[in-house]
Amino acid sequence: MVRVSKPSFLPDFLLLCLIATVACASLFPARGVAVPWVEATADMAIALLFFLHGAKLSRAAILQGAGNWRLHLYVLASTYILFPAIGLAMVALFRGVADGLLLTGLLYLTLLPSTVQSSIAFTAIAGGNVAAAVCSASLSNLVGLLLTPLLVGLFMALDGGGETLSWRSVQVIALQLLVPFLAGHMLRPWIGSFIDRHKRVLMPIDRGAILLVVYSAFSAAVVGGIWSQVGIPDLLLLLLLSIVMLLIVMGANLGLARLVGLPRADRIVLLFCGSKKSLVAGVPMAGALFPAAQVGVIILPLMIFHQIQLFLCAALAGWFARHPDDAPTMQRPPLPRSVPEIESAADKCGLTIPQACMAGVTANLALLDRHADTLFATDPS
Amino acid sequence: MKQAVEIAACVRSGQMSAMAVLDACLAGLAAEGGRLVAVTGILADRARMEAAAIDAAIASGRDPGPLAGVPYGVKDLFDIQGQPTTAGSALYAHAPPAIADAEAIVRLRGAGAVLVATLNMDEFAYGFATINARHGTTRNPHDLNRLAGGSSGGSAAIVAAQYLPFSLGSDTNGSVRVPASLTGIYGLKPTHGTLPMGGVFPFAHSFDDVGPFTRSIADMQCLWDVLTGGHDVPRDQIRVAQLGGRFRANADEDQIAAMQAIAPDAPLIDLPDIARARSAAFLITAAEGGALHREALGRDAMAFDPATRDRLLAGALLPQNLYEAAQAFRADYRQRITALIADHDVLLAPATPCVAPLIADPRILIDGALSPARADLGIHTQPISFIGLPSLSVPLRRPGRLPLGLQLIGKAGSEATLLRFAAMLEDKGLTGVTSPTDAYQGDA
Repeated sequence: MVRVSKPSFLPDFLLLCLIATVACASLFPARGVAVPWVEATADMAIALLFFLHGAKLSRAAILQGAGNWRLHLYVLASTYILFPAIGLAMVALFRGVADGLLLTGLLYLTLLPSTVQSSIAFTAIAGGNVAAAVCSASLSNLVGLLLTPLLVGLFMALDGGGETLSWRSVQVIALQLLVPFLAGHMLRPWIGSFIDRHKRVLMPIDRGAILLVVYSAFSAAVVGGIWSQVGIPDLLLLLLLSIVMLLIVMGANLGLARLVGLPRADRIVLLFCGSKKSLVAGVPMAGALFPAAQVGVIILPLMIFHQIQLFLCAALAGWFARHPDDAPTMQRPPLPRSVPEIESAADKCGLTIPQACMAGVTANLALLDRHADTLFATDPS
Repeated sequence: MKQAVEIAACVRSGQMSAMAVLDACLAGLAAEGGRLVAVTGILADRARMEAAAIDAAIASGRDPGPLAGVPYGVKDLFDIQGQPTTAGSALYAHAPPAIADAEAIVRLRGAGAVLVATLNMDEFAYGFATINARHGTTRNPHDLNRLAGGSSGGSAAIVAAQYLPFSLGSDTNGSVRVPASLTGIYGLKPTHGTLPMGGVFPFAHSFDDVGPFTRSIADMQCLWDVLTGGHDVPRDQIRVAQLGGRFRANADEDQIAAMQAIAPDAPLIDLPDIARARSAAFLITAAEGGALHREALGRDAMAFDPATRDRLLAGALLPQNLYEAAQAFRADYRQRITALIADHDVLLAPATPCVAPLIADPRILIDGALSPARADLGIHTQPISFIGLPSLSVPLRRPGRLPLGLQLIGKAGSEATLLRFAAMLEDKGLTGVTSPTDAYQGDA
């Protein structure tokens, strides 16, 4: 059962914790002998996170919503084609203007899978196709487990960031991401119901692991001089680019949905699942994929984007919830009601209304007209 | 007449031959003499051949099937090899004969059932009353002055009066569930598209389904297994809810009391936009029905039944973009309702808003105003067909009073769970068939 919370415009609790963690790492970074311990603990936390991701992933949910394959392809295309294309374009446009590592972080966020929980929650609030959202978001995460590291290897090289998919990266991905994920998923028949039942209890472990990775990353970044490297103008630019990126993706998805004639419930899925990027997946993946000293800066765009997507999606989900369907915005087609109108409409479709039938046809069209009124009414109580 | 499973058991065990069952059935139908205006044709020769084949199979030690020798009838819109498929219309009385049986009939024949009769309906299945210009108005066996409901009224009346143990009808907006409720028997509308529509005269393809009528859940279960292969597994824990809002506002007090008795702690669910859903169903049905018959209407509109002709002509004139708007609403609505009912296995709702209306005054009260029964008896069934969910109409046990039914509505593909729940209700005596006082008392 999807838990639906009201849309909120306040920063979410995770973000507040992240800000506190960044502040803590900035003031009290792990140094000296503490560093290997913090990094090792963070590595284990990443493995634990992916173990839990694997255990939580329901193949049944994917199979249940898999029939809507066209929609899932659109969501995957938005996540792994449209987003990276925008990311590459922005990096090309702002190279030399903004910090290179921050731009790498911006590109990195575009390669990440969609969120699961918030995509489903916003879809539910907006009255969208929840079953399809569960399937799409889960599928995106499953695909991302392999595709994101591959895209990182490919695009970071294309971008000239220097990071290609090295043998060490492959080992790290396998040991820290894939193996724990598969182990968790294999054990799902035994631990799945426990995990599903105790989501509230397990959430602090989940969130705590992310915060530990962030602390480890920012400690290394602070020691490496992140705050002399990144200033307020950089953060403002990231904010602006995040908003622009999100608006382009949402606009493109809405346009595509209308173009291919998706029903409203599926349009909502494409809008919310196709425009999200997962902080929960992105932070530990960055920990596994990038050198410790770079991770702090690389995940900074993701943290900013995370909050922007929550703001915008909360507002949009609320709008959709207040406008349960498109009927009021659609033009109500008129029905032929008078005898000349009926004769003209009949003529157009090759019919002649016998005189003996005209009264009955007129009465039936009046009944159908009332039903059309009801269909298009804003409050057909 | 015995239940279908009892007849099959007798025939399979050799207590009775299929031919003897058939002879008793044909004698009963002859004695009925058209009093109910339910039968449109008797297929005696074909039935004798099928019964003889069953007896031969038993004599040679072959398995005759789970419905061995059970006689049944079908609504007048199923293809029957060698017969014109009329869909209750004089327009097709002399149509070329069907070259093969409808797929549902093929499956029943494979299970040993014996097709005996064709049964009355509203012309082209367009109505909830079974008022047919060619064959007459089907009478309710519980009170001959009242409607049997429709459009599968003949199929329901003949089973309720015990001349046949089961029959097949079709349900587009409620044409199985409405007559089942008004005649006090079981009627199943399956998940849209589950039962084979091959060889069935269509009406509105977005909603058309075929469905059986029976007098017991054991028979319904047997038919379901035969028609589908019976691979479904019912849920162990059945979570029940009641439908509120317009369903409750237009229900008989006895239906509300029965729902309370069945599931006193069940939550009340209000399906949103129910009036809009019904209107969209009405428009889609009119448009698809009109489009289907447009050519014939253009050729000779006056050959149609006056009761359906003007409705079909009006439907043919609906703008295409109105039809598309109704379909777009349907796609959204189906998904919203699927999410809303995700935590429940069975939804309880009235099947009809009232008991059978008088033939002399075929009007019913909807939202406090009188409206035509022919168009509005399906007020509670139409929104369910609109989203394609399965729904089983079960009769409330009310001896001495006119029948009334409840719908047990399930999630797509959950017929096994509905049948299991209905069996529990029948065992507890909360639902069950009450025979009409002058029901056929023949041997078979």
